[in-house]
Amino acid sequence: MVTHEEILNIANLAKLSVSPEELDELTKDMNEIIGFADTINAACPQASDFDNINGLSNAFREDIVVPSYDREEILKNAESRDDGYFLVKKRM
Amino acid sequence: MTNYELVCGLETHIELSTNTKIFCSCTTEFGGDPNTHCCPVCIGLPGTLPKLNKRVVEYAIMAGLATNCEISRVSKMDRKNYVYPDLPKAYQISQYDMPLCKNGWVELSNGRKIRLTRIHIEEDAGKLVHQRGGTYVDYNRGGVPLIEIVSEPDIRSIDEAKEYLEKLQLIMRFIGISDCKMQEGSMRCDVNISMRPMGTEKFGTRTEIKNMNSFAHMAKAMDYEMNRQIDLLQSGEAVVQETRRYNEEDDCTESMRGKEDAHDYRYFREPDLVTIQVSDEIVNELKDKLPELPQKKAKRYMEDFGLPEADALLLTQYRKISEYFEAASKGVKNPKTVANCMIGQIFSRLEGDGAKENFAVKVTPENLNALVRLLDDGKIRMNLLKTTLEKMLDTGKAPSELISENDMGGVDPGALKAACEQAIAANPNAVSDYLGGKEKALKAILGAVMKATRGRADAMEVEKLLVQLIKK
Repeated sequence: MVTHEEILNIANLAKLSVSPEELDELTKDMNEIIGFADTINAACPQASDFDNINGLSNAFREDIVVPSYDREEILKNAESRDDGYFLVKKRM
Repeated sequence: MTNYELVCGLETHIELSTNTKIFCSCTTEFGGDPNTHCCPVCIGLPGTLPKLNKRVVEYAIMAGLATNCEISRVSKMDRKNYVYPDLPKAYQISQYDMPLCKNGWVELSNGRKIRLTRIHIEEDAGKLVHQRGGTYVDYNRGGVPLIEIVSEPDIRSIDEAKEYLEKLQLIMRFIGISDCKMQEGSMRCDVNISMRPMGTEKFGTRTEIKNMNSFAHMAKAMDYEMNRQIDLLQSGEAVVQETRRYNEEDDCTESMRGKEDAHDYRYFREPDLVTIQVSDEIVNELKDKLPELPQKKAKRYMEDFGLPEADALLLTQYRKISEYFEAASKGVKNPKTVANCMIGQIFSRLEGDGAKENFAVKVTPENLNALVRLLDDGKIRMNLLKTTLEKMLDTGKAPSELISENDMGGVDPGALKAACEQAIAANPNAVSDYLGGKEKALKAILGAVMKATRGRADAMEVEKLLVQLIKK
């Protein structure tokens, strides 16, 4: 069972604030999600490698430069910007 | 009073000198206007997919081979989660439990081996500038490939830490995978430090000093932190396990975050990247590509060329220097002469490490080779070699353009004796000074002979002859 404390810890790591009502709901959701994963695990206990389900390896890219995007494009969705930089609130 | 011993391990980040970033095709070039080396992948836009740069894997394997590591045949990438504006995806793609290289070592000059736990590949974060009350973010560096080299806590002194780092720098430059410039941030390290009473085995509580970007700072930070911990231990207080930063202005270390705020990175496999498989073939191919490593090269210079250790180390400091030395000494009788020319005359024209590393010298190694061969064949004397080399360094001309046939062949013994006798006759005061015990007085007479023979005579020979003649 996922506890309230675990949800609060994850929220804290993700820099999210969670209200008491949300906390109950999130804990319930998280338990359902994990329960779902448990169901899948129980359905095929012999499968061990979910990590690399296609058995693929070594999909590489050659080291050749492709022109980068125009800075205007890069900054287009920035909430705040200055002098070519993304501008965010100071933290820490 | 108890004596304490340092227990130290380093985590070293080295930027790889690939053309493109680790997961996209943007350039890795240093500098550039902010956010001009970026694309949707390296600014972490949703829906984008990373694609691993083959050369990053190759370079990391080369780094592993050059530091005696085992190369993992199966490896993968993982997500390291943390929220900070330098990381647009809120996770860094790194390697957690299956690094590319493991269990290596670097040998120090005192014979101690510093074991390497692992070398893994990961992406660099963007650069933050905190000013005018806000944080300015530039993602040009975001996604530049890094290797992180983690050592075991085998380092026992500041000097060992410096030498270990210098050795890494030298090796990585030699194999050509990074320029390892600490001042530009392409090499930086975190230092883990604890102290224990001399003679005991058990490790003390450690602190980690983050982001050292120069050898001098590292030495100062270590010195401060060692003393701080010794003071605590001696007064019976406990060292707190924490992350600290070095404050340059006050020359001290200060706490950044304690154990209770230690990061919980929630590593898990990067599902967007497939497994990395490394075959024996690839490892062998890369092994063949590796140049002779500096330590081995220096040893060979000492054994095969009879160079003193100091010379051998100077000539293997950078790859270009050793390549030049090897080309210039091809087939010469005494490679020590070439070494002397380079260390004495050529190095003095190069200011700073950067100049030595680039080794852009007007004299081609072939021309230096030709000059030294003239000495080998007895056609010129050492002093003419030296003055000619100076001219070559100024003009870039070949020795054949600077030394005429007349200058070659030294000076006829009869003529030399005559010149010496003349110089003695012309400098009676110097002669009596010399006979009176002032050995330096001989230099004046020597100078007169060298002038008369236009520098072609061998100074040592002249000196001998003068002493003979005067004492007669």
